[in-house]
Amino acid sequence: MADRRRINPPSGPTITPIFLASPSDPPTQPPHRTRPPHEIRKIFLKTGLTPSASGSAYLELEPSSSPKPTTCVDRSTSALKLTCTVHGPRPLPRSVPFSPHLLLTAHVKFAPFASKHRRGYVRDTSERDLSVHVETALRGLLISERWPKSGVDVVITILEAEDDGPAFTEGGSGGAGDGAGGLSGWGMMSVLSGCMTVASAAIADAGIDCSDLVSGGVAAVVRQPSFPHTQTGASKASPKEIVLDPCPSEHADILAVCVVGYLRSRDQITEIWTRGDMEGLPGEEGSEQSNFEVLLDQAVEAAVSSRLVLDAALKEATEYKLQKMAPALPSSGEKVKGSD
Amino acid sequence: MSLPTLALPGQLLGAFSRYEPGPGTHLHESNVYASLPGRPTASTSSHNPSSKSSKPSPKQTLTVTRLPSMSATADPGPVSERISNTNALPRVGDVVLGRVTRCMTRQVNIGILIVLGASGDNEEGMVCANEIQGVVRREDVRATEKEKVVIGEGFRVGDLVRAVVISLGDQSNYYLTTAKNELGVIMAKSEYRNTMYPISWKEFKDPVTGETETRKVAKPL
Repeated sequence: MADRRRINPPSGPTITPIFLASPSDPPTQPPHRTRPPHEIRKIFLKTGLTPSASGSAYLELEPSSSPKPTTCVDRSTSALKLTCTVHGPRPLPRSVPFSPHLLLTAHVKFAPFASKHRRGYVRDTSERDLSVHVETALRGLLISERWPKSGVDVVITILEAEDDGPAFTEGGSGGAGDGAGGLSGWGMMSVLSGCMTVASAAIADAGIDCSDLVSGGVAAVVRQPSFPHTQTGASKASPKEIVLDPCPSEHADILAVCVVGYLRSRDQITEIWTRGDMEGLPGEEGSEQSNFEVLLDQAVEAAVSSRLVLDAALKEATEYKLQKMAPALPSSGEKVKGSD
Repeated sequence: MSLPTLALPGQLLGAFSRYEPGPGTHLHESNVYASLPGRPTASTSSHNPSSKSSKPSPKQTLTVTRLPSMSATADPGPVSERISNTNALPRVGDVVLGRVTRCMTRQVNIGILIVLGASGDNEEGMVCANEIQGVVRREDVRATEKEKVVIGEGFRVGDLVRAVVISLGDQSNYYLTTAKNELGVIMAKSEYRNTMYPISWKEFKDPVTGETETRKVAKPL
């Protein structure tokens, strides 16, 4: 972890101090969820933003809604910003043994400034863990027999990560016991979901054969928010519910989260990651579905919603490319007609 | 059912009973699906050698052409159109153009620059984004008198060579052959850095000094 070649900033959290305008102001309230439970956040997705890469994409989630805009830096809002570049397929280096398939490698890296806890320049365990998850999600997607003896690198940079919510900040500020530099909590799960969607878009932009597109979806079991500033004892009794695409800073009490990488056309799942305790979900006692399956179904629902955005973004990009190619195309178009 | 104007990977294009999967598509559970984003086109597969020719039911071959990435379409020039960011991979049987990078007693190393495809048609050539390593072994240099081949008399470093891929080869090299009349060195420079012209099947001549050098000369097309 020691990185002697660079001048490293302090390893602790770097949070801008927030000063109240006057002592009478109420403290800034933590953001809370304003959209309905089955609705995911708005997604911005665009492909082809990095000229040097063979394919690239950028994804952004709208920041969590803060109750009122504050004049100072609002520490409670968090968005998700990801860029993905795809390099290749290119010939394998000499040291790699013969492979009849396309070799996929995924690198996920948080920018040092991505979260409140500064990241090092070297990939840490949580980043390597994410890379493995993304790699498995994409491996089931590629038709790798079409690219023998080549490799493709998928590089995802997280420019802004989601914070882990109040539960985390309390624990995290108390001591650095969480290790690995912060965001190993619930925020990771939606980061993974975004990573899968953005990587899929970038691979399609690069023109690498895939059997389908993978989109990420997250569902969580949360305790329904008891109204703020009531006694905390009441929140223990408040019922649990399932929400799609949870923003960790919006929920005080997340109990379990499930992420899936879902291929909609194939109706297949290439990646599942669940964490937490999913006992006692509401409303499903009668059915024979386990709690896990209920949560999984909801995560798939979220993935289907994000697939809509993925499809629309790719369609737009493809139309643009076809339009740009139009001056070059007529000759080939005539050719096709001629052969008919 | 008509074809959609625009397809995304995983989109159903048609039943296998009607269509043959071509480049950019794949077959799954007896249906043809797109595997690249782009415009699907159907063409009668008369030129396709893989389909059993002259069958009573002529199936149409579906293809989705690979589009260049967004950055490449930004400034489409005459040359940049053909340079694929995603590499053109040589397949077995393809004609390739390359440059000799190293001559050894048993083999010649060649950096493949352009993949012309099976027909060897210049119009279909794809420029490789990065050089692909290939090798012509001594026994693949020419078709006859293979034992008498001397590499040093057939190639020099820097020569441009037309060759055919015979195998995907080992971990680092594609195996190429020049054992045909129309394969071999197509452009060469002499010791004095003058571009030479071919005068016979094994000789190039320097127009300035008048000296001849031996090469495995490709028959001009």
